[in-house]
Amino acid sequence: MSASGAAAALAKEARHTVAMRLADPAIMLANVSLIFGVLLIVFPSSFPHLILKNWQNARLTPILILLTVALNLGLYLRVAHRRAAKPGIMASACLGSVPVIVLAGLNLLLQRTILQTFTGDIANASGRVNEEILAHTYFTLIAGIFAPFLIIRLAQQIRKSDS
Amino acid sequence: MASHDISQLTANWMAAKWASWICLYVILGIAVPWAMTRAWAHQHQAVLKPTLKELFKHGELGLVGLMLAISVIWDLQKSQYSSHTIALGSVFLAMTGIMSGAVWIESYCRRSTGIRFTPERAWRDSRSLAFLVFSLAAMTEILLDRFAKVAGQ
Repeated sequence: MSASGAAAALAKEARHTVAMRLADPAIMLANVSLIFGVLLIVFPSSFPHLILKNWQNARLTPILILLTVALNLGLYLRVAHRRAAKPGIMASACLGSVPVIVLAGLNLLLQRTILQTFTGDIANASGRVNEEILAHTYFTLIAGIFAPFLIIRLAQQIRKSDS
Repeated sequence: MASHDISQLTANWMAAKWASWICLYVILGIAVPWAMTRAWAHQHQAVLKPTLKELFKHGELGLVGLMLAISVIWDLQKSQYSSHTIALGSVFLAMTGIMSGAVWIESYCRRSTGIRFTPERAWRDSRSLAFLVFSLAAMTEILLDRFAKVAGQ
């Protein structure tokens, strides 16, 4: 093996695990939020109708899980590539599992909210429920992207203060 | 469906409170402080033409983000959404607001204690997080606007 080859191999071995900062997912989250907002403004009835239809068919949560996991992993790998660091196994597992837990948990919360609205004898209950589903979908999408990065960041901080 | 969308779109733009809300924050929170530095420099005949980056280089945009989050949490608390939705939205706005404010706090602490401080990084992080809070806040105001119309029917 040549000297340059050995040096490259050593450098590759010494590559540290990527350290995430909370500012990293901020731009992507902001863009997702803006796209959601633009769709809601440009298609004020078609876009909410599409969300409601998918929610009624029980397809909304799986779609959101796929979307958030893909976005999270894409962002994580992009940051790792940009900083010339290797992706961590625990962080990757967190990015894959936390959105599933968060989205499933918030879906249960939404079902409880809908039940409460319908049993609460409130005027225009179905209109309110539609808006609740829309708001929940938006906050859930944001939570699914944000929560794993927050956990990764906190874990990094704890590990740093322990060492 | 498309014609319904267009008529609703026009009606929404005519009564969009969130649009004036966005303008208010961008003008009063960012453009006015920048214009005031220009006015001060003109009054004192000083050679001072700061860019937005120079003006907010210590992470002050993070503080703007925190203030913005507080105002939207307050609006959310006053809305007729269910308690779960209010709690969910408030927690996320509060967390992003705190993250945004933390950039300014960290920047202040580093400068005060003499620990390595990178203005470039403080500016970049505060800009990203303020943009995040701004987009979350704008989207929440749009949702609140929609819900108020439905609840009022």
